[in-house]
Amino acid sequence: MNENPADLAPELCVLIAAVLGLAGGLFLPRRRQWQVAVVCAAGLVAGLAAAGVAATRADLMAFDAFAVDPVTHVTRITVLGSTLAVVALARGQVRDHPRETEHYVLILLSALGTVVLGATSDLLVLVAAYLLASIPAYALAGFGKDAPGTEAALKYYLMGALLGVLMLAGVTLLSGIGRGTAYPVLRVGLADAPQAAVAAGVVALLAGLLFKAGAVPGHFWVPDVAEGAPPAIAAYVTTVPKIGAFAALYRFGAETLPDAWPALLAVVAAATMTLGNLAAFGQDNVRRLLAYSTVSQAGYLLVPVAMAGRTDLAQPAVLYYVAAYAVTNLGAFAVVVATGRDDLAEYAGLLRGSPLVGLSLVVCLLGFIGTPPTAVFVGKVLMFGAALDGHYAWLAVVAAVNTAASVFYYLRWIVPLFRRPSVPSPPARGASAVAVTAALCSLALGIGSGIALS
Amino acid sequence: MMLPGWPGGLAVDGLSAVLLATLAVVLVAVLVHAAGEKFGARFYVLMLVFAAAMAVTVTAADLVLLLMGWEVMGAMSYALIGYLWPDAERVRSADVAFLTTRAADLGLYMAAGFAVAGAHSLRLDDLAAAEAPWRDLVAAGVVVSALGKSAQLPFSFWLSRAMAGPSPVSALLHSATMVAAGAYLLLRLHPLLAATGWADTLVSWVGALTALVLGAVALAQRDLKQLLAASTCAQIGFMVLAAGLGSVAGGTAHLVAHAAVKSLLFLCAGVWLSVLGTQRLGELRGAARRHRPVGAAFGAGALALAGVPPLSLWATKDEVLADAGGGLLAVGLAASVLSAAYAAKALLAVFRPAEGGAFRVPLLESVPLAVLALGAVVLGIPALAGAWGRVLGVPEKSDVRVAALSGVLAVVTVAAVAGVRRVPEPAWAVNWLWSERVALAVAVRPVFALARALARFDDQVVDGAVRGIVRGGRWAAGLTGRRVELRVDGLVDAVGRSARWLAALARRPQTGQVHMYYAQAAVVLAVLVLVALLAG
Repeated sequence: MNENPADLAPELCVLIAAVLGLAGGLFLPRRRQWQVAVVCAAGLVAGLAAAGVAATRADLMAFDAFAVDPVTHVTRITVLGSTLAVVALARGQVRDHPRETEHYVLILLSALGTVVLGATSDLLVLVAAYLLASIPAYALAGFGKDAPGTEAALKYYLMGALLGVLMLAGVTLLSGIGRGTAYPVLRVGLADAPQAAVAAGVVALLAGLLFKAGAVPGHFWVPDVAEGAPPAIAAYVTTVPKIGAFAALYRFGAETLPDAWPALLAVVAAATMTLGNLAAFGQDNVRRLLAYSTVSQAGYLLVPVAMAGRTDLAQPAVLYYVAAYAVTNLGAFAVVVATGRDDLAEYAGLLRGSPLVGLSLVVCLLGFIGTPPTAVFVGKVLMFGAALDGHYAWLAVVAAVNTAASVFYYLRWIVPLFRRPSVPSPPARGASAVAVTAALCSLALGIGSGIALS
Repeated sequence: MMLPGWPGGLAVDGLSAVLLATLAVVLVAVLVHAAGEKFGARFYVLMLVFAAAMAVTVTAADLVLLLMGWEVMGAMSYALIGYLWPDAERVRSADVAFLTTRAADLGLYMAAGFAVAGAHSLRLDDLAAAEAPWRDLVAAGVVVSALGKSAQLPFSFWLSRAMAGPSPVSALLHSATMVAAGAYLLLRLHPLLAATGWADTLVSWVGALTALVLGAVALAQRDLKQLLAASTCAQIGFMVLAAGLGSVAGGTAHLVAHAAVKSLLFLCAGVWLSVLGTQRLGELRGAARRHRPVGAAFGAGALALAGVPPLSLWATKDEVLADAGGGLLAVGLAASVLSAAYAAKALLAVFRPAEGGAFRVPLLESVPLAVLALGAVVLGIPALAGAWGRVLGVPEKSDVRVAALSGVLAVVTVAAVAGVRRVPEPAWAVNWLWSERVALAVAVRPVFALARALARFDDQVVDGAVRGIVRGGRWAAGLTGRRVELRVDGLVDAVGRSARWLAALARRPQTGQVHMYYAQAAVVLAVLVLVALLAG
């Protein structure tokens, strides 16, 4: 058994940064707590570097439960990079806050849980990672201690509690009938287990993962948290945990190969993308609109997840789409953080008032639609390819119709940008930089997709 | 080289050199003479461009340059004939002359195209070597355009129209340029004509018949310039005959001598026209006696034109006829009798004693007359001495019997005309054989009729079809707008309405109440278990 802790170097970097930040924050005066942000950012950068080095090495399995393979590499890099952006966004919001240190540390711990969620191939570690990723996020959602934030935190927690309990039940059931918790064991064990028990176990397990992914039926918290939580945290919870959730879903599907997996996930994907798109139509609050947009994007992402193990296109599709989605979603939320405006009408004239931020928003929104040459376009192409290759043409059709329909509400946001400016207010500098960087990354990932995929 | 990959350019050989020298001398003489008549700058510009175009034409070594010179010369002839543009009739004459020569020029364009196809070269030297069907087509095109330019039958009528221009223009156009260009081209391309086996015979007969028929036309004229114009056609006919017979030396000699004679005669006619205000033979009675130097020059020119020995045209014509045999010789001799007759008629008219005082002619106008008259008298000597053949590098032949016969015929004819004091004026020849009317009937009217028919076709069928398509399109658009658009629009509206309805429905589950979320999640998960069971 491989028990080399160096294989977990990126995770250890994050953990050490969180512990150092927490310990250091205890002794720092309030005005100098920004140093914790620096420590956390340094930890994330170190983790990114370690993940980059690890990505050049051969695949391996650490501690019999932690797979170091392409899925893990992409999860690590995307999660750590996104978390770095969230720390930058949060820095402007919780500056000199009495609990500034805790804010950064909670973000790092949740990100750590997310990485493990995507990397593990054991149900017990999956549950632990689920809890580590979720519980700091509940606290973060209510960090503002205001009424909407508290309500959002409570709803988030209650949904997470119910679906987490169901997930625990599913893990219990699956480990019972599969005679083990490691995926390779389960693959053998589930093959000759009773179908009904497997179905119930898989659906119960899915409940927790779909909650993290923000897909039907675990999507109810998404709009409420995106609207009620502080904007930087809204960006975090709609982006980072999803990365780990999709990686975990893909890994479970690809490594245990339950019989009903493709049909089950296809139904969930179709329902998720349709519901997200339709509900986004009438939104006037941009954070609710983005929340429903993330639900619909989760639906598209579930398409290659459903095709796990059925086609070679599924893995690149999941990984590319999840990275593209993270970049694009962070860019859009960064614009919301930068402008501080929540109402759709307040975005009138943004392109003239602050052209760079407005342009970044346009790039990100067009990216969500899947316009070339943005990153999501490549992800969507791979997604459609996976669906057709996996003989789920109807799913591809549903996705195409949904993509066409989604143009409506993204354009609802783009069009006012070109109008005359109403009240000029300069956007926050740090968040603007994040937005522009995200838009550039989206374009770079779209244009350089050939290099990235090879 | 005008076109890359197509050799050619300007080149001067014996023939070109002779023509260039002739052109230069006649041009200087005409321009010096014209300087006495006070023309404007436009006149000199046009004259110089006209002469330059002729110079390009005679030095061109390929068809492209030749065509350029040829075309510019045609355009300048139009501008010069219509020089007095306020007179609508003169402009109309210029139109006729230009359109006639221009129509014949198409032959040269076709010849160029056929040369590219058949000889893969545009060089004049290479044309004779073209492949069989192409060679004949090239020769046909060249012959048509040369006959048109030289006012040979059946294109002769344009030269009558060309008399609308000022006299110096006529003097140049009838001698060393324009009409000479056609003869030059045929002389230059004699190897091509000979190679076809039919073109040389055709050209010989056209030349001989033109000399004969237009000689008769000249005889019938009562207008000095019209008489001279018809005689130009007839004399060019001898050159064309020479080209057809391959008598390049004789043809060239005749061209040079005729250039001197004809420019002299036209300048004299111009002097009388400007002093006496007429060119009618009846009204010019005694004109030659009223200014002796001009009269003497005209007399020398007219006697040369008559072919009286030992003047120039007698010697050169003999050289042409020396190569002819049988029918062509007979026609040629008949034509030379006619030329003696019309020259005598003109002589008689202007030398007939009449009252009227002497008039003055400026020195500038009379000096060129003297030079040209000298040429008209002595230019036969090189022909007698066999100089042309040495200059041109071709064999030269003369026949003493033919020379003696034509000399005797000319003297007898002139003496007879002087004796009887009147000449027959065949009615059919007065109006140039009505050849302009024939051309109108045969070429112009059918073309216009065809054009009108095509215009009707264009208006009614082509344009009508377009309009019909437009009408059909509007009708279909109206139909689509009324019948289909409403339904499609309704469909789009329905999609939009149902999408909005579905969107409202999709927001319903988001009640904001956690117990409802719980219930819904539970129901959906139960359904998913069912799906998993059914699918598994």
